[in-house]
Amino acid sequence: MIRLERLTKEFDGLTAVDGLTFEVEEGEIFGLLGPNGAGKTTTVRMLCCLIKPTAGTAFVGGLDVRKDAIEIREMCGLLPEAPGLYGELSAYRNLEFYAKLYGVPRSKREENIKKLLKMLDLWDRKDDPVGTFSKGMQQKIAIARSMVHEPRVLFLDEPTAAISPEAAKVVRDFILELKHERCTIFLCTHNLDEAERLCDRVAILNSRLIAVGSPSELEKSLGLGKTEVHLERVSEEIVRAVEKLDGVRDVEVSGNKLLVGVRDPDEVNPLIVETVVGHGGRVRYVTRTPHALEETYLKLVREGESG
Amino acid sequence: MRADRIWEIARKDMASVQRYRYVRLGLILMPLIFAVFIPLVLIYPVVAGEEAPKDNELPPFARPGMPSKEAMVAGLIDMATLMFMVIPAAIPSTIASYTLVGEKVNRQLEPLLATPTTDLELLMGKCMGAFIPTMLTTVASFVVFILVVDFLTLPLFGHMILPNLLSAVVLLVYAPLISLLSISWCVFISSKVTDIRAAVQLGALGVLPLMAFYVLFVGGILSLESLTLVAFALVLISASAGLFALGKVTFQREKILTRWT
Repeated sequence: MIRLERLTKEFDGLTAVDGLTFEVEEGEIFGLLGPNGAGKTTTVRMLCCLIKPTAGTAFVGGLDVRKDAIEIREMCGLLPEAPGLYGELSAYRNLEFYAKLYGVPRSKREENIKKLLKMLDLWDRKDDPVGTFSKGMQQKIAIARSMVHEPRVLFLDEPTAAISPEAAKVVRDFILELKHERCTIFLCTHNLDEAERLCDRVAILNSRLIAVGSPSELEKSLGLGKTEVHLERVSEEIVRAVEKLDGVRDVEVSGNKLLVGVRDPDEVNPLIVETVVGHGGRVRYVTRTPHALEETYLKLVREGESG
Repeated sequence: MRADRIWEIARKDMASVQRYRYVRLGLILMPLIFAVFIPLVLIYPVVAGEEAPKDNELPPFARPGMPSKEAMVAGLIDMATLMFMVIPAAIPSTIASYTLVGEKVNRQLEPLLATPTTDLELLMGKCMGAFIPTMLTTVASFVVFILVVDFLTLPLFGHMILPNLLSAVVLLVYAPLISLLSISWCVFISSKVTDIRAAVQLGALGVLPLMAFYVLFVGGILSLESLTLVAFALVLISASAGLFALGKVTFQREKILTRWT
């Protein structure tokens, strides 16, 4: 659905985005991760045809960002970092305005607005000026605005930044719901936990592309994953036996929990459980450590920065 | 160019700006000053005065070929008519400042730029959103002005002195051109400032060329002959076209997102 070919953007001689090449499949939730100033927003702006690449190109739905700007904007929805709503206008009017600019026919317009506002639990507030809404509600309206014309591709730039955890959950659930409708979602985020929960694949960017793949693939490629084994009781014997397993990097003990550094969880986790049970341990449950993507990300970005 | 998109942007801007107190105040106060206050303060005292000025005491803007009192009053009406050019120059500086700088500051431009509208459609919509209320206000105030002036001067002239050629030219030719000039100037300013008040103040500089024309007329250096009126119209057309072209160059997606400071 999206294909970048050596996509590059320079501003006054400064390279903001340097030769990005990757693809995003239809119906995929794709995360773009990177530190501040890594070029995430610039990349999204090029893909939405808001700014032109300096070199290279990209294709959205088979159309070239250099040549087919209007058609690409018709098929895309964009949620920028700031909601940018018209605070003095009602929620309904904000959405109606954009629906008209996207050329949505009248009957469909009303239907779409109603559906989105109901999905986001804001139908009762449709006639209130959005300036009176909380940040979370405004963010929901901004998401509804980006969806009002039923885009095939949705670009979300930090969709849950600066909103409450409750509102963030509603937004995340909404994003997952869109995936079921085969909408391709391109998500820029600093929230690695969110990326891990939502994204099928992620790209890590720091002007240049550092890595691309599913969170588990990236984790595996660096061997940074950790498996948590919760036991009834941890014994020295169990720890030593697990440490000796092939594919185990290190073992930490935290209360009745083993934190096992593994290179390939799919392969090693069954061996860990077998070994623990074989040495008299009683397993309560086994899980991956949360924030595995965070470790992967930090390692990759540091490596990228050191060249 | 799609008219429905342009109209929708204009309609939204018109709905948005009327909620700002300063814009509403401008739309109400300006017509009051120019349509009611100026005729009452400037024209009525001369009409009501017992003594007519002597011929050699008449100011340079007095209308020639009339008795001195009528010449003085007719000259004052011409002055007041020319003052009307301030409305289409001043109102857009308030409206366009809110719809351009205000939207830039509130970061409302990016989602708008992401829509499948062309740069020209967006610019035209923004211009129309400022142009329509400006012209409606100008025309409405002019109608009131004509009624007030005719009511005040009917006993003196014995006929309705307005509308006349000058008022028609000011309303139908100068006002739209000045409005366009002012809006284009505001588009240009919007790319340079990040503060609405600064934009309004700089936008008000658009009044300066009109003041120059006005001073030249009051000082008697220019007379309101057909040639002068046509020449001024040509100056306005050239300036409006030039500034609109500059606005068009300024109002481009990439520049708005990356260069507008």
